[in-house]
Amino acid sequence: MDLNFISFIVMGIAASILSGVMITRRWPVSAAMVLIAIMMLLAGMFGLLEAHFAAAAQIIVYAGAIMVVFVFVMMLLNLPPEELRYGGITWGEMLLIGVGVAVAIVLGTQVGQGMLTRGFESLGFVPGQAPAGARPLYFPPSENVKNVAASMFVDYLWAFELISFLIMAAVVGSIVIAKKRSAENANAA
Amino acid sequence: MLTLPEIGLYFSFLMFLVGLAGVMFRKNILFMMLSVEVLLNAANLAFVCASKLTGTIDGQVVMFFVMAVAACEAAIGLALIIALYRTKASIEADDLKALRG
Repeated sequence: MDLNFISFIVMGIAASILSGVMITRRWPVSAAMVLIAIMMLLAGMFGLLEAHFAAAAQIIVYAGAIMVVFVFVMMLLNLPPEELRYGGITWGEMLLIGVGVAVAIVLGTQVGQGMLTRGFESLGFVPGQAPAGARPLYFPPSENVKNVAASMFVDYLWAFELISFLIMAAVVGSIVIAKKRSAENANAA
Repeated sequence: MLTLPEIGLYFSFLMFLVGLAGVMFRKNILFMMLSVEVLLNAANLAFVCASKLTGTIDGQVVMFFVMAVAACEAAIGLALIIALYRTKASIEADDLKALRG
């Protein structure tokens, strides 16, 4: 029970509880603020898992850039608080949710049981040893950025290039979608 | 005794369930998109935990790709919300029954 372990558990429980708080907010802006707190907690968990570059990117890209876009759109729409509706769930929906949660718990505990009783080797992996063909997670952790870059630009180069095409398409698409109405007005005028 | 990344996988499972409930039960499209962000964050946590468990760097690289896809999803989704709000003056999912603008 070292400090890393305790702080990881505390951050995980806080992130899980705040997720529940987030989906029950009435104001969109307070939900966005709670989501930023969740992302900060997850960044702390990434740091404890020795994924330091992932932790930094989580704060800069997610809590910084993406959430600013969300808050900007909320400001633009200027919506009133939403009325929460309770008790609108039918019995059929309750049954479906129960089946889904049961299947998820069974699958989760199967994997968990395998890890608890036979160790993580039961899933086909040997801890601390890379599978054949995979790039090992080198230590010290101070070389995290170097390892991520080596893997991203050598092993996953094609995926990286395709992601850049996806971002390009998203930028063009969002401009086209948001501009549509004004273009129609220009044609009508 | 569970190790740190194994516990992280359980937290990821829990957060994914909560985010899924948010997507299913909220009627406001903005809240549905915020819940999708929780789903993607839970998946990111699972990827980083798997990276630590297997001792490979691949999980962290895939986590960056998920982050890029989340940025694209936020840009397109919010543009759609703005376009829908202009035509319908509402972002309730129930008000968007017709596919024709």
